Amino acid sequence: MRLLSALTLGIVLAVPVVPAFGQDTGLVVGRSVSTNAMDPGFMREAATIVDNIFDTLVMRDDQMNLVPGLATEWRAVDDLTWEFKLREGVAFHNGESFDAEAVKFTIDRVLDPQANSPAISYIRTIASVEVVDPLTVRVTTAEPDPLLPTRMSRYPAYIVPPDYLAEVGDAHFASNPVGTGAYRFVEFVPDERVVLEANEEYWRGKPTLDVVTWRPIPDSTARITALVTGEVDLIEDVPVDLAPMLTASPDVELVQVKNGGLTIYLGLRMDKEPLDDVRVRRALDHAIDRQAITDNLLQGMATPVGSQVGESDFGYLDLPVPAYDPELSRQLLAEAGYADGFEITMQSSSRYMKNNEVAQAIAQQFSDVGIRVNQQVLEWSVYTQKQPFDGPIYMLGWGSTQTLDADAAVYAIMRSGEPYSGANLPELDELLDESRRIVDPAAREQVLHQVQQLAAEEVPLISLYREDALLGRASDVRFEGRPDARIVLFDITRD
Amino acid sequence: MKGLRFLLSRAFQGLLVMLGVSALVFFALFLTGDPAALMMSPDASQAEIEAFRRAMGFDDPIWLQYLRFLGNLLQGDLGLSLRYQRPAMDLLSERLPATALLALSALVWSSAIGLVLGIVSAVRKNSGLDFVIRVIALLGQAVPVFWLALLMILFFSLHLRWLPSSGMGGWQHLVMPSLALGAYYVSAMTRLVRASLIEVLGQNYIRTARAKGLGQWRIVVRHGLRNALIPVITVQGMYFAALLGGALVTEIVFAWPGIGRLAVEAIQNRDFPVVQAVVLFTAAVFVVTNFLVDVAYTWLNPRIRL
Repeated sequence: MRLLSALTLGIVLAVPVVPAFGQDTGLVVGRSVSTNAMDPGFMREAATIVDNIFDTLVMRDDQMNLVPGLATEWRAVDDLTWEFKLREGVAFHNGESFDAEAVKFTIDRVLDPQANSPAISYIRTIASVEVVDPLTVRVTTAEPDPLLPTRMSRYPAYIVPPDYLAEVGDAHFASNPVGTGAYRFVEFVPDERVVLEANEEYWRGKPTLDVVTWRPIPDSTARITALVTGEVDLIEDVPVDLAPMLTASPDVELVQVKNGGLTIYLGLRMDKEPLDDVRVRRALDHAIDRQAITDNLLQGMATPVGSQVGESDFGYLDLPVPAYDPELSRQLLAEAGYADGFEITMQSSSRYMKNNEVAQAIAQQFSDVGIRVNQQVLEWSVYTQKQPFDGPIYMLGWGSTQTLDADAAVYAIMRSGEPYSGANLPELDELLDESRRIVDPAAREQVLHQVQQLAAEEVPLISLYREDALLGRASDVRFEGRPDARIVLFDITRD
Repeated sequence: MKGLRFLLSRAFQGLLVMLGVSALVFFALFLTGDPAALMMSPDASQAEIEAFRRAMGFDDPIWLQYLRFLGNLLQGDLGLSLRYQRPAMDLLSERLPATALLALSALVWSSAIGLVLGIVSAVRKNSGLDFVIRVIALLGQAVPVFWLALLMILFFSLHLRWLPSSGMGGWQHLVMPSLALGAYYVSAMTRLVRASLIEVLGQNYIRTARAKGLGQWRIVVRHGLRNALIPVITVQGMYFAALLGGALVTEIVFAWPGIGRLAVEAIQNRDFPVVQAVVLFTAAVFVVTNFLVDVAYTWLNPRIRL
């Protein structure tokens, strides 16, 4: 399939392209996935569309700073209590007014154990929400939670209208959402389109784009063609191999969001031999030529890393990328008693940028130091349903785009006992748990640095590289992409 | 009377098949694993996954889950889609019109063209025209549909700008998916009609008809085609059933909002109820079509009595 795609691409690039169709005042976005439901409290998919219909109390600007949203200010009253002052005069798209009751209602409906919200884990630290007055709420957490303002900046904390929900019910709401956001919902045709229009009364001012249509186009070639022909103006998910289709066309631009994607790593089952030996883990770490992989296989669309934490994450520590040193690897293996290497299984699944090809390259590099790899490529839905992963080495992508905090980047994959973690280091567990108890940012940053330092020494997993996010836009669309992967329509303009 | 008994026994066999399929889809899906982990957000804790599993009834004994499944199935209820939180049947029926439109259009043009090409090819057996038609038919069956579809998108949408590249809307949106989907069937139809007609035209009664001095066209259509169509109808019935079950590749490539795409997305997300609904629906279409083909047989060829 890849080969044929490349062939067709060759044919395409050889023939000149006719100018695009006429443009309208709105925007059409081509997505790789279909939208199923738009209830922010119960998302089972990326919140890309929902991001534009609803608002959170706290927002992130394009520099990823936390800024006032529906709350004008917030503060920690004590270690367990946060107080939010709410914006006055904001109304939902149906006219219902936004107030403290709506905030309490929003959080309570997600926390309700009967509701089984798939997003409950994002706000599970919250014990209760108290309405102080119509424009003041207090959120109490069970234990100190330094990330609470961050948790209030993403789904499921998008504020929903209580009266409307009581009137129409959850099921209707999911396909007819009403929020306070820059865009109001107009139409939803499953697998075909979602249409939004500008909210003229928006509290941040009137949006520039009048009508925005989201179209799911699962096939990458079809999606890129739709962009080039002007059927859509912006697309998500451009595969590395097809990026030349964009750069070859004068009417469209490739949007490369540096470090906007996931951090790809090799998970290690530390409870299995020989990965329980730190010398073996280090040997693996130094046997991989990350730079060659990102330069050649990924064509520069990714950056080698030495840590799971991203540069824009709170708590980031600038650690060097582990050196590619096969000699050192062989020496470490010999010290560990594996002078003749060993045989091990490495699992991966087609999910990330060319990751099965990357796994092949790594298997090759491992074999250079005497490690014989049985490579297993599994179907994604089969791969992810079993936790912990069989491994003993397994390739996964992880990100912190939703919180931009080191906690999201490391906790779930390095804390022993977590479903996605294969690590088992009591000292690391202690640090990770401690970081979750400290509210003071400076002290917390210190602990997060220690976490990364220790991870670099003990190698509970092998960080490989951070993917860029690749999108495509028509030349006249002003859109640069954000590290948190959101498509904020309010900030997009057209020439 | 004999015909009626034949049809009744066929209907009973159909029911048995459906029961078998229901057991198969149920157990096959459950044997592949547990959907709870996949449905929850990646950083959900083990306890949260457990709670979700209990709430969805995934922790009951499997035979109990099957009986519950059968009972609900008889009432036309296949449960809520895990992903959409809506009845799986609703999701299916919403997408049926799009798939039916695509299937019918592909079947109509491919049957019509296939029939004509097959007849011409058979009547002009071993001529240059026959050779050309046979090569085209071979290509149509050999070219993978996803490649043909991509080539069409690149050629008709990207370069010529004649047709929209994907989605559903006016008739223009239907052209490429229908062509891509029908390409295989037009070839299959051509080859089948040709082979079947050549065989029939060699029969004694055709020679008799010729001896009677009947015109060539009359012989082919009245005496030849009617007999040649019996195997064609069987195959055609199966094609239509297969098409109605959703054209997986075609619907994905052209972003066509049909059953095939629903099925692929449901499988990728391990959305049990939707996968079950699609498989059961497809099986039902096959069973019903088979039944109708049997009815057509008894009408076309009175010799067929089982």
